[in-house]
Amino acid sequence: MTTGVPLTATALASAATPDAPPAAPPAKDVDRFVRLSVALTGFDAFELHGTGLAEFYLRTVVAQVGRPAYDDLRKALEQAGLDPEKLEGDVHQDLARAVAHLWYLGVWPPLSAAVHAELRRQVANDAFTVAPEAYVQGLVWRTFHGHPQGAKAPGFGTWAAPPPGEPELPQPGRPVRGHGGKTGGGR
Amino acid sequence: MSPARDLDGHRYDVIVVGAGWAGSLVAKRLGSQGWRVLVLEAGTTTLDTWAGHLDAMNTFYSSLIKVPNAPYRANTAAPSPSVLDTVPGKDGHGYQALGYLVQDGPLPYGTDYLRAGGGTGMHWLGLTPRMLPQDFKVRTQFGYGRDWPIGYDDLQHWYCEAEREIGVAGDAAEQTEEIGLPFPEGYVFPMHEIPSSYVDRVMAKHLNGKTVFDSCTDEPVELRVVNTPHGRNSTPNPAYDGGRGFRPQDAVGLPNYGERCVGNASCTPICPVQAKYNPLKTQAQWSRKVTLVDRAVVSRVLVADNGRVTGVEYQAYDDPATPVATTRTVEADVVVVAAHAIESARLLLASELANSSDQVGRNLMDHPVMLAWGLMPHQVGPFRGPGSTSAFERFRMGESRREHSPWRLVIANWGWTWAAGSPGSDVAEMLGIPDSPFKPRGKARYGPALREQLGDRIGRQVAFQFELEQDAQPGNRVTIDRRHRDALGNCRPILSYDLSDHVKKGMRAALDVSHQIFELLGAEERTRYTSDAPSYFEYEGTGYTFNGAGHGCGTHVMGDDRKTSVVDQWQRSWDHANLYLVGCGSMPSIGTSNPSLTMAALALRSVERIHQDLTELHRPLVLRPTPGYAHPTEARP
Ligand SMILES: Cc1cc2nc3c(=O)[nH]c(=O)nc-3n(C[C@H](O)[C@H](O)[C@H](O)COP(=O)(O)OP(=O)(O)OC[C@H]3O[C@@H](n4cnc5c(N)ncnc54)[C@H](O)[C@@H]3O)c2cc1C
Ligand code: SF4
Repeated sequence: MTTGVPLTATALASAATPDAPPAAPPAKDVDRFVRLSVALTGFDAFELHGTGLAEFYLRTVVAQVGRPAYDDLRKALEQAGLDPEKLEGDVHQDLARAVAHLWYLGVWPPLSAAVHAELRRQVANDAFTVAPEAYVQGLVWRTFHGHPQGAKAPGFGTWAAPPPGEPELPQPGRPVRGHGGKTGGGR
Repeated sequence: MSPARDLDGHRYDVIVVGAGWAGSLVAKRLGSQGWRVLVLEAGTTTLDTWAGHLDAMNTFYSSLIKVPNAPYRANTAAPSPSVLDTVPGKDGHGYQALGYLVQDGPLPYGTDYLRAGGGTGMHWLGLTPRMLPQDFKVRTQFGYGRDWPIGYDDLQHWYCEAEREIGVAGDAAEQTEEIGLPFPEGYVFPMHEIPSSYVDRVMAKHLNGKTVFDSCTDEPVELRVVNTPHGRNSTPNPAYDGGRGFRPQDAVGLPNYGERCVGNASCTPICPVQAKYNPLKTQAQWSRKVTLVDRAVVSRVLVADNGRVTGVEYQAYDDPATPVATTRTVEADVVVVAAHAIESARLLLASELANSSDQVGRNLMDHPVMLAWGLMPHQVGPFRGPGSTSAFERFRMGESRREHSPWRLVIANWGWTWAAGSPGSDVAEMLGIPDSPFKPRGKARYGPALREQLGDRIGRQVAFQFELEQDAQPGNRVTIDRRHRDALGNCRPILSYDLSDHVKKGMRAALDVSHQIFELLGAEERTRYTSDAPSYFEYEGTGYTFNGAGHGCGTHVMGDDRKTSVVDQWQRSWDHANLYLVGCGSMPSIGTSNPSLTMAALALRSVERIHQDLTELHRPLVLRPTPGYAHPTEARP
């Protein structure tokens, strides 16, 4: 029963908010982060803001890779007309992967060993869920009209309904069969 | 400080070892009959308040890998195994066992249990099918494993009682019609069935009435999607109990909450609203005659020269992180060990008790789970509702059982979550992130392409769990060795585990059935067993992997001969007349259904006998003859 990427369990220990949260970034910063996140995730700005986590994710990224590396990525993407396909270089590519992964699962993934070294990161290169709420707000569940397992419960019996675009189907075994009277059951 | 330290020298009518599922039921019934019951629990009891439950929810949300024990706090005084403990072997073959369980068998026992108040029933999935009448007689009818000393008819009444205690939702008429299960005249389950998922409906549409063949026996098997009984709150059936109806049990610590499943889809490892039965709900109904003491690890059952047990020795500790324990003893007329199949055997071995048959710890069984998975051509709405709502039941029965293990073919509602770690693994794959930072990265998809392709892939995932019956083998066993101890100095369980050819042959037949089913579904088959998986083995040239189901059984096996079994049909030790071993460990065959309903039925049945024993013991002015010692069933004509 796994949900995150199959990585080391040791990261569990660090499944908290980043150390010493820096002061909240200015709103403009958050907007620019969301703009590049729209390009990476395929979800629009309204949906991303709606998670309530945009600012927290920006702080997480900065805490994980440092301000200069993040600014580099942002500029590179802006210069590429916000088209991630045009991003060049392993560092930019890997940071783009990490930001998308964060939005989709609420989990910061390990970077490639080479990029980790190149950035001279001060933190362990481990995966961790950045906050309990981040799991709940993961975008992956929305891609197939689902909900995060263990949260946002859709209500009794909803699992019987067709997903959007699929036909209604009867309950297997309906209508209720007769049962000879010898044994129990029946309603 | 733990109240466990203050009990020293006290005397009770009954001591129950373990506040898990079986222990909670036994304590409830004996307490309501007026007996003074002491329940000693090795773990902590933080989960029985709403705050404690929410803490577990947050731990679950934060955990990177949402395995069954993920929500629950680690405890060094009473350690639990984790499914993450079993990892690939050093040279890429075989396995290593890194955690609490020591393992030296050919194959890994790759599953867990939970040592905390409530026990493993905190993270069970919630399926409560009954065993088939033929499951009780596998040796006589099919020539493998061990027979029970009792049959389905002996348990009928107790099954009904267990279904009341647990609160079962299901369709009894369908169980009779599709599987031939007998129920009492007019019986209905306490609650109407949990609706079958859309995945089930898709399966029924494509497969109901179709036939597949058992490649081993050529036997044709008709496919029928059958709704599974659940220990999960649904809509109460007004016809239950002769028209008296049923009131679902609410959440522990939050009244009037959780009275119906709302589809959180996380039953294992934790039901957020507690619509799923858990043993804390039974504890909430304990009378004041029942005393629960946590952080008390029972280390020895004590016995007198006449063969009767006198009580237990336990270790009381305060802090589960840095345990310092004090040893205490407490006495009772009857001791009930209900510490989970593996832990109960471990405790008996450490106490050097109840083992004149040499069967303690042997016959360890589980349902090895073989997974098969694929992609449907259209969206099926996975990851919604309870982990499974239906199964194909006809592979459980019939003459094929002579040739190979039968299985329940369970339809999974949660896509490839167990098979492949979805949906996290799908996200990583589409972003080109491999499972190691040292492996080269793939090309990532981004933006709308990422979103659409993920939705397309995950929304079409289907999976089956072939839960095979494992036959009792004396070599599959729990032992102890003083060299392997935990932080309090208690011996850790050592497991030797393997699958017989009967099971392996069953897997071969099951794999062939899965091919036929995917073909009938028009699905793209994605099943892949990799040779570096810890449970990988080859049988007749084909490789397989399997998972544990968490259904540990057989370690203090029941029988009608004291020479070959540990307990009699009442789960009473042949060697010690006032010692009861209650739990799945008593089951001589694990059967073709998830075992806990049967375990609960057996536990309730034992309570009747314990009550009789105690009543006889306390009857005033009866001079009992004491010539030597005899087991009560032998003493009585
Ligand atoms: C992932 C998973 C899913 C499952 N799903 C299902 C399902 O759908 N249907 C089904 O029928 N079954 C299911 N099971 C099996 C079910 O959980 C077990 O059969 C059941 O919990 C066993 O009950 P028990 O009382 O014997 O043991 P437990 O519930 O484990 O309780 C044992 C108790 O004893 C305590 N204890 C242990 N050692 C000591 C000691 N030395 N001193 C004092 N106390 C001690 C423990 O802390 C614990 O509280 C599942 C199991 C797992 C792991
Ligand atoms: S589906 Fe959700 S609400 Fe229902 S039992 Fe499972 S976890 Fe609880």
